Amino acid sequence: MYEVLMFDGGVHKLEEMLDLIEDIGGFVLQRIQVQVMVTLTIAIPEEDRPLIERKAAELGGKIIEVPLAGTEIAVVGPTLGRHHMPHPICDIAEHLRRYGAITIVMGLARGRGRKTCQISAAEKAIIEEYDAAIFMLGNFKECVTHEKINLYKDIQVPVVVVIGPELDSLPDCEALVCGVGRKVERMRRSEEIAKLEEIADRVKEVVDRRRKEIEEDPLFVHPSEVKDALEDLDAVQECLRPSPVVLHVDGLRVKIPYKDHVKELEEVEVYGHKLKDIATISDCRLGDSTIIRIRTKAEVEGKVLGCDRP
Amino acid sequence: MVKFELEGTERYALESYQWLLERILIDMGITTMVERVRLIIRPDQTLFIISMRIKQAGSKRPVSDIADMEAQEGGTFITIKDESYAPRLLASLWRMYGRERVQQLTRLEIFVDGVPVEELSDLKLDPEEEVRSQLLDAMWRLLPEGLKVRNEYYNDNVMTIVATEHGMTVDFLAEAQKVHSSMVQGKGED
Repeated sequence: MYEVLMFDGGVHKLEEMLDLIEDIGGFVLQRIQVQVMVTLTIAIPEEDRPLIERKAAELGGKIIEVPLAGTEIAVVGPTLGRHHMPHPICDIAEHLRRYGAITIVMGLARGRGRKTCQISAAEKAIIEEYDAAIFMLGNFKECVTHEKINLYKDIQVPVVVVIGPELDSLPDCEALVCGVGRKVERMRRSEEIAKLEEIADRVKEVVDRRRKEIEEDPLFVHPSEVKDALEDLDAVQECLRPSPVVLHVDGLRVKIPYKDHVKELEEVEVYGHKLKDIATISDCRLGDSTIIRIRTKAEVEGKVLGCDRP
Repeated sequence: MVKFELEGTERYALESYQWLLERILIDMGITTMVERVRLIIRPDQTLFIISMRIKQAGSKRPVSDIADMEAQEGGTFITIKDESYAPRLLASLWRMYGRERVQQLTRLEIFVDGVPVEELSDLKLDPEEEVRSQLLDAMWRLLPEGLKVRNEYYNDNVMTIVATEHGMTVDFLAEAQKVHSSMVQGKGED
């Protein structure tokens, strides 16, 4: 299994670190250089972590845990109105980024209100493209327990619910964090930061559970290996959007239009296999991106052996 | 210090909305203008009532109280004595006579073209007009977004809003009116 870590250090002898990552079969997922300081987000085989740690110490840098690296998470609020934005939705999204997640903020078209709140099939489908979703459901217990639970109950990705009133549990969600309701200012007090930490911990648990499920029937290749292959494409290199390739737990989001590049993507080779044979490539609900879901080892090998034929 | 009276079925909702309103008032810089707030929140009935009483900031003042006026050829020359009223006076004059006829000569001197002194002496300035509009903004920021069906009651220093989601009932309106009149009369004060 690959492990995603962050190296924080200087440019001096950085090539030694890069060579080592390549030698052990790892990947650089992201490189940010500010003058002489470099931050590398890397994916390396779990068992080789001591080697990387030793090299980081030798170069005077440090290795930081980024438990949510390689995930894309949606933070969903009832609407994008000023009652819910930017606090606390953006505060949560920003906090999760500190743990390596890529986060997006989303407001439902008709998520406000008690009896009138609703979520459309299109909105559900958009949320399901992410690895997990965080739902902010407000301050009213009656409203949350009777009506708002319908907003997330059919969603197929893990959901973490964040509400104001204290409740023991809620149905259909993987985790619940209480004590974060509506806010009109940034969450900067110590108790509020503790709540943000609690939300991050719950998300980590949910993502870990999802990763363990995947490990039981592992993916044919790790998403970072596909990312490495995709980065050679001209369309990806020319893409000016931030993070053109985003890792998911079970695949990737490539920020190039599906219609224009699907053929090119299908033909990309990963360890001697065409991408279309080892992954499902589909259009993204949010325009001009492509979603790649990597098939499991069993699925791919079964197909090669002809087991998929009736 | 704003005095809060909370009534409702959920403790967390009431306390959090009190906290939210306090932060909104601080944010807008109008905490000192609010005297008393009454919140009634019943999520099971989808009812939200907020009533606010502002402190008396003095009644309407005639222009002759805050400025010296002198008749001059072709108009009136005004020298403002109370600086705090200067922006409001200038805005009122602009609104009534247009920018072409009202010249601000210095910070506290204004010349109004073609208007006799007698006409300006009758003009009165309301110091609470601005406070009321800010207060209304604070209440709109506080009200839950989904409660779109609203009714307002207001008089000189009390403003009450009742909000619900579907249909406003007679009972809700009656309750809001009762809250409003109790706030006007100052019932329940220590």
